[in-house]
Amino acid sequence: MATPAALPPLPFNPSRVRSYILRLPLFTRLVLLAIIVFWLLELQTVWSVKQWGSLIPEEINIGTMYRLNTYPFIHFGFFHAFLNLLALTPLLERFEAEHGTLTAVALFFGPLSTFPAGAYILIERFVLHRNTEVFGASVWVFLLLGSEAIRTFKSNPYFSLGPYKIPTWTSPLFACGLVSIFVQNASLLGHLCAIFVGYLFGLGYLKVFVPPEKVLRWIEGKLNLLGRLPHYVSVDQKTFGRYGVLPTTTAGGERATPMSYLGSSQRLAAIRKLRSNPHFLFVHLPHILSFLCIVAGVVWLLLLPLNDYSRQTYISENALLPGQVHAYFSGSEQHIFRGYKKELEAILERQTPSEQDSRNDEFTPAVSDKVQSILRAAGLKVATQNYEYTSSGITHQGQNVYAIIQAPRGDATEAIVLVAAWRTADDELNLNGVSLALTLAGYFKRWSLWSKDIIFVFPPDSKSGTQAWIDAYHDMQPAFVQPLPLKSGALQGGLVIEYPFDHRFESLHILYDGVNGQLPNLDLFNTAVSIAGGQMGIGSNLQEMWDHNDSYEMRLQTILRGMVKQGFGYATGAHSSFMPYHIDAITLQPKGDGWQDEMALGRTIEGLCRSLNNLLEHLHQSFFFYLLMQTNRFVSIGTYLPSAMLIAGNFTIMAIALWLRTGYYIGSEQTAVKLPTVSAGETNKQVAVSTEKSGANTAQQPAVKTDSNSIIERQLALPLTLVVGLHLLGLIPLYIFNNINHQYYPTATYASIAINAILPIALAASLTRGLTTTPREQSQQSLLIKSFSLLVLGLFLSTLATLNFSLSFMIGLLCTPLSFVNRIDPRTASRPLRAVLAVAGLVLLNVLSPPVVLLGACRYVGVDVETVLTQAAFGWDVWGMWTQVVVWCVWWPAWVTGCALLGFSLF
Amino acid sequence: MGVDRRKAAVFGGAFALRLLLLVLFPSLPDLLTGRVEVSTPVTSFKRLQEGLFLYTRNVSPYDGGVFHQAPLLLPIFSLLPSSPGFPFPTVVLYSLIDLINANALITIAESGWAVSGRSYSAIRKHIRWDGVTIAAWFLFNPFTIATCLGRSTAVFTSIGILYALSSAVTGKTFNSMLALGFASYLSIYPALLYIPLMLLCYDQRAQTAKTYPSTTVFALQHLAIFVLSIAGLLGISALLIGDFRSFVSATYGFQLLVPDLTPNVGLWWYFFIEIFDSFREFFLGVFWLHLASYMGGLTIRLRRQPLFVLSSLLGIFAVFKPYPSISDASLYFALLPLYRHLFPLMRYTFFAVSALLYATLLGPAFYHLWIYAGSGNANFFYAITLVWSLGLSILLADTIFAALRDEWEYDNPEVRGKDVKQV
Repeated sequence: MATPAALPPLPFNPSRVRSYILRLPLFTRLVLLAIIVFWLLELQTVWSVKQWGSLIPEEINIGTMYRLNTYPFIHFGFFHAFLNLLALTPLLERFEAEHGTLTAVALFFGPLSTFPAGAYILIERFVLHRNTEVFGASVWVFLLLGSEAIRTFKSNPYFSLGPYKIPTWTSPLFACGLVSIFVQNASLLGHLCAIFVGYLFGLGYLKVFVPPEKVLRWIEGKLNLLGRLPHYVSVDQKTFGRYGVLPTTTAGGERATPMSYLGSSQRLAAIRKLRSNPHFLFVHLPHILSFLCIVAGVVWLLLLPLNDYSRQTYISENALLPGQVHAYFSGSEQHIFRGYKKELEAILERQTPSEQDSRNDEFTPAVSDKVQSILRAAGLKVATQNYEYTSSGITHQGQNVYAIIQAPRGDATEAIVLVAAWRTADDELNLNGVSLALTLAGYFKRWSLWSKDIIFVFPPDSKSGTQAWIDAYHDMQPAFVQPLPLKSGALQGGLVIEYPFDHRFESLHILYDGVNGQLPNLDLFNTAVSIAGGQMGIGSNLQEMWDHNDSYEMRLQTILRGMVKQGFGYATGAHSSFMPYHIDAITLQPKGDGWQDEMALGRTIEGLCRSLNNLLEHLHQSFFFYLLMQTNRFVSIGTYLPSAMLIAGNFTIMAIALWLRTGYYIGSEQTAVKLPTVSAGETNKQVAVSTEKSGANTAQQPAVKTDSNSIIERQLALPLTLVVGLHLLGLIPLYIFNNINHQYYPTATYASIAINAILPIALAASLTRGLTTTPREQSQQSLLIKSFSLLVLGLFLSTLATLNFSLSFMIGLLCTPLSFVNRIDPRTASRPLRAVLAVAGLVLLNVLSPPVVLLGACRYVGVDVETVLTQAAFGWDVWGMWTQVVVWCVWWPAWVTGCALLGFSLF
Repeated sequence: MGVDRRKAAVFGGAFALRLLLLVLFPSLPDLLTGRVEVSTPVTSFKRLQEGLFLYTRNVSPYDGGVFHQAPLLLPIFSLLPSSPGFPFPTVVLYSLIDLINANALITIAESGWAVSGRSYSAIRKHIRWDGVTIAAWFLFNPFTIATCLGRSTAVFTSIGILYALSSAVTGKTFNSMLALGFASYLSIYPALLYIPLMLLCYDQRAQTAKTYPSTTVFALQHLAIFVLSIAGLLGISALLIGDFRSFVSATYGFQLLVPDLTPNVGLWWYFFIEIFDSFREFFLGVFWLHLASYMGGLTIRLRRQPLFVLSSLLGIFAVFKPYPSISDASLYFALLPLYRHLFPLMRYTFFAVSALLYATLLGPAFYHLWIYAGSGNANFFYAITLVWSLGLSILLADTIFAALRDEWEYDNPEVRGKDVKQV
């Protein structure tokens, strides 16, 4: 016999929850709605709902009596509201189902709110003489628990715990105790008052406040409430009779539980109906879930800037002691700084041919010699390193100069790096920065308090110089980079100084993003902000947010800018190269026109070096994964990771659903066609007996049986080969885009757009031609292809989210349409319609293909595609950046599969 | 009949793929050798190199406490040119071992012992793959390829086990015991396979021969062969090394007492890092007892399918061994396709495979966060090894369930195709 759609029983049945929520009675709904509305209102900052409506003992007078009724609706933060909602819903629903909507309204707007409030105010104000405000629906939760406990006590007076008999009515008191222990700021007194009133209610002393039934019935009849209001529980419907199910046995006057999960036969029928409606379960539900995941992921990200989800930064490593020492860098050091600057300028003048207008700012050997001689004169050990990189047909070469101050109090096992690149990250001449670093080198040399070596590095540019140096420092350099003749201990931190202009500055811009989205320890950033702001009075900025007013929009914008940089994974400055070696580093850039001079910057750096010098171990206390939204506010990984995981999870959900669908549902689809005469009752019975095992007996059964109820053999060879093959095929564009000469990049981009438009259709055509299979097998194959492709995508994205959250989030968002793209079933749409739909879908998908997105982004930002791709290839060759791998070996194959699925519909 | 074309294509392809990977990515073998998922302290190629260096200079290879592998490997590898200078010969040797293993798999598959035995024959035995397909599953399994390129010495144990199985199903019981002796000599745990393997040999003998041999005599005979083969190998080792005591404590003592807690994909290392030293001996005993106890239970319950017991035990070893690596998993995955007829009865394949895939990707990522990026900690990686073990365990439990279900249907023909509920 045919049993439709056998499926494993779910331990947590979503359909049950759904039907429960759909059946909530009216007053419960209104209360829940009010709580949610008040919570949403609380999110704005103009009008403090809490101040307006909470129960503050001192504030209560005749005019503010409304507080006695409003306080249960008001909550503090999302979790408070959510937990209370979760606890309140079943209790209130039960109450309303038992007493009717009108009674519930009367009681909850009357005695059940005001009595606990009154009791609380009396005790708090007149006995304890305190003024603690309370709010939240927990008062109702405990009140209802109290009344339920009395009821339980009547039927079942004791728990036996060994020899002890504990009266059951004490259970709410235990709950209350636990809540006050585990939840901060839970008002013990308020809860106790609520439980007390609950006991009174349960014992029947408050019966007098219940409106007489006659009156209720009269009101109900006059207004025809039953007819007008949906989900209204009538006076007569209350207790058992709501769904027309009478209790079969009433044991000892015990109350039947009409709303328990399995009690109502109608409820069971609803579940059965869902089970016998596999189309909803296998086709619609996964789409709904996937969509919800995506929406939840995006909303989650948008919530992050709110105060409830982000945190104030703090210094976690006590040894850093930022700003606790006096900085002595001033006075005569300024003359030395000017002297060095003059010397360097003189060399630049000298190396400029006289007929030339602009100065020759190259880092020539003459400049290098000058820097070396200054350092040597200051008593440092000096060495140089030559390097040469070739990428996209462009050669980058230069010479790093570096010098080491050996620690008077250390043993050369640890070191701090100070970098002043000749050219800044924006390719400006960093003359002031280099002069400042030279001055600091001489100044630091004279101090005896260093316990770590200090290394001064002067690379000719910010892109490749530090990379060559740090690679060689760890003996990981490629062949065309010289090894370092002089080394020190393990690097504990790095600071990069940029000062590319001559006037005074206003604030410090701190760059912290590393290669591949790695970030320095948050303590380093915090130390810089706190020394600059607290000790020097210099404001700091991040992510080029020059006027950050701490509003929601500004915070969100800062987060998004940080995410874009992290996602692209390129080096934002000379400090970025340090990150892959687990060396925390930041760049300090003076910005604006203010009254801070180079001495202030010098003192900031001195303070930072002193803090790093204090470190007893490598920075490890604070966060490595964070999103900054302001110099003093951040979200940590635990809070933000779910958003990327939800996006990645949507693909996995879809993949699992498709896998189940290919096995179970296609078979049952056939059944429905074949056996339309099976009556509904019979079907239900079969579903009830069918268990997870029903799929087990395929193979030896005759073909008809296979069709009817069980797992169908899945043809895995083609889908597996296709998906694996496409992922390997991604290596070809990866190789091309990293290895051709830079002038061909635009051509290659346009060519790849054209190939992307043709490839999926060609693939679809050849596969349909090559395989002469039945339509059913074809549809199974296309579902399996999609399932595997999405499974792999989900896998990669969730792994990536732990390494580079932003990249995973961005790629995940761009891939979301792929969850919903299907081969259009030939049985449901006619050929021309299919063709039109498929072409429209293909055009839309092509807009979201990797090269088109790249072009669009370049157009939007206003940069050249060639520049971007040259930079990307440089990143691949020099920095070890792997964003391209993700694009070509994860995103692109999934995209091609999606297009090919649409392409199948054409044939 | 000449060489089977498909077989030649699969073997040639697998061999070419391994050499191609070596040519395209010359740094790949060294990268894989360093991965904790591939190399454990008892199978690491790097440690073998160290032992080899000492051995060729006439120092005891166990001096320095780095090398913990059987001494017979040393003369074999000292014949090869040194691997840093000439990587090809070593990789060719390992690829050949993979091919030999695949050949043994083909023998096992074609004997049909996986689907029908002396007193039992699977109901769905017409659903099966031929030997070449099973060999292809083994040879093109990424875990096998990684093990091969990582040059883990676990492949020598695998070759012993697979040859023991293939000899047993073809009736060469003497060879089978010798091969198992070799495997047990290399790494102790295959000795646990003795009883089911002996039963397999016995069934094979009983099925082909007209007269049944006496069970006790048969068992004792084969036990003698098994013990003598190990004793012989130990004797040769003693001749090679000289200091017998130090060799035994450095190899078998090391494998039994688990002093090196380098992370691996198994469950022991984290547990023994966390445990207080006073409890160490007790839990060491518990863990070993736990590992050994599966043998008895499975052998008794699935007496009629000894080959299946052997395969399942290999899966259990891959989870609960002290130093497991992906090579143990790849050995289990090699035997799994023999039970193609059980696949329709399995229920959680997709979830198990997804869990394994997630663990495969997240394991290296979390190891990177822990060791290199410094932004994670040991718990990250340990959590993933738990997921990996969970995936393998689900797969194991599911296949054993399917085998039991198949047996049940064989015993109760009237319930074929009916629903049952496991309680």
